[in-house]
Amino acid sequence: MIETATGEILSSAEASEEKQSRVFRGLYGIRTAIWEMWAEFRHEWKRITIASLISPLMYMIALGWGLGSMVSTGDRPYIDFLVPGIVALSSMNAGFTSVGMSFSTQRLYERSFDQVLISPTPIPAYVFGKMVGGALRGIYTGVLILLLSIPFGATININGWFFLVILLNGMVFASLGVLAAILAVTHADISRFSTFVIAPMTFLCNTMFPVEKMPAVVKEVINVLPLTHASSALRAIAYGGMPQWYNFVVLAGYIAAFVVLITIVLIRKSNL
Amino acid sequence: MIKIDNISKRYPKAEKYALDKVSLEINTGEAFGILGPNGAGKTTLMGIITTLILPTEGNVYVDGEMITRNRIDIKRKVSLVTQHVSIRRDMTVSEVMELAGRLYGMPVKQIKARTKDILEFTGLYEKKKQVARGLSGGMQRKLMICRALLTNPKIIVLDEPTVGLDPHSRRKIWDLLEMLKQKGITILLTTHYIEEAQSICDRVALISNGRASEVNTPDNMISRLGSYTVDIYDGITTKSYFFDTKEEAIGFAGDIPGKTKLRETTLEDVFLDRMGTELGEKVK
Repeated sequence: MIETATGEILSSAEASEEKQSRVFRGLYGIRTAIWEMWAEFRHEWKRITIASLISPLMYMIALGWGLGSMVSTGDRPYIDFLVPGIVALSSMNAGFTSVGMSFSTQRLYERSFDQVLISPTPIPAYVFGKMVGGALRGIYTGVLILLLSIPFGATININGWFFLVILLNGMVFASLGVLAAILAVTHADISRFSTFVIAPMTFLCNTMFPVEKMPAVVKEVINVLPLTHASSALRAIAYGGMPQWYNFVVLAGYIAAFVVLITIVLIRKSNL
Repeated sequence: MIKIDNISKRYPKAEKYALDKVSLEINTGEAFGILGPNGAGKTTLMGIITTLILPTEGNVYVDGEMITRNRIDIKRKVSLVTQHVSIRRDMTVSEVMELAGRLYGMPVKQIKARTKDILEFTGLYEKKKQVARGLSGGMQRKLMICRALLTNPKIIVLDEPTVGLDPHSRRKIWDLLEMLKQKGITILLTTHYIEEAQSICDRVALISNGRASEVNTPDNMISRLGSYTVDIYDGITTKSYFFDTKEEAIGFAGDIPGKTKLRETTLEDVFLDRMGTELGEKVK
């Protein structure tokens, strides 16, 4: 006999069934959140696609063609250095924005998140589904950037590891988006969060210039940030090599830390 | 049956309780209204019943089982129509329904079949491909009721379902609520439109300053105040006087010079009387 959290006494068979159905509900919750993001994407794909391309296009023109001719990055052209960095920062933006903005709109403006809260779907599963959806949006953006880089003459090596890094990077920032959306008191908080956290990483984390050229103290700080590891890993693969093992560990560590933080906030916040 | 047992709620940093030891019992299949002025705690109570808000003290029981955020089986029995329009505006009517069904773990085939039935039943089927933000306020509210019905709930909680709607749309939603009542669904309703509660609800609770002050049928509440009312306008304000019989009211009105009006007492008179609005008095 097993006692549940609500004080119900269940037989072993019932408990096993309850456990199975809890797992099933969790998986269904993840699928529901991904379906919701897919439905959102279907309506907005043209706008999402164009918006994903504008900044990277500007970076490639201004930095790749413009400043790039004056920048030395070893024996490879600067555009080869730049593209993995742009893929990393764009998948970061896609992961964060697609989840953070949409989730905070649902929670604070549309209040459609109320329906999720009262439904039988487990909230952690739903939130995890949002993170996966955000990571998939990151991969979509990454693929767009790779296609965009072709006319710029970038020579990039792509394999499964490349997409795994984008997926992990997207998940890191999608989970940060979830956390920001849960903590936000007003919709403007998400924009502020983006200004203070996302924007600095865009420029500093080994995306447009090598971290090695930074002062030692700044370098230490930058080396702790997740985007640095995503950029480094993507660049290593793009150059035909393999990323460092700790790149994966850092990205996975950030995901785990954000998931734990999200869970704590969800438990502590009685009124979402 | 829903049992609201000694529920209190104090929001963080709030000086006073939004709800203060509220206890109510709502019978299965009953249409139960909760009336009260702005800030009385009605929406908080609705939120607690649906687990949207967690109480500071007390519990809510549905069919004898305590409802919590983890009680999936009980949550399945309850649907909520919120005061604000809480639908994804960027989704079509069908997608709004599908999302709700998926959140309740319904198979997609079943969602589609029930969506068709409910949208046809409520006259929204033609709009199934329309994006929700393009619907009128009345249609958005109707869609929220459709969404609440999709999961075949035993209890439907409606928090001001007709607020801000024109009289035509309001009547349409009343008809819909009547149909739900016929189906034996337990209805829990808060409203500012007292006539709405009078026409739909079997019993009503008056709630003020976070406390439930009175629970009774609308007819009993009215007869306790007096079934007939004489309104007297003195040039500045209108005062109402309540009588048990029409004859008494006519006799009283006949003795008063100036503008008087004889009418049947409504639940609104009871509401205003109980909320401390100076109306007049009951004349014996």
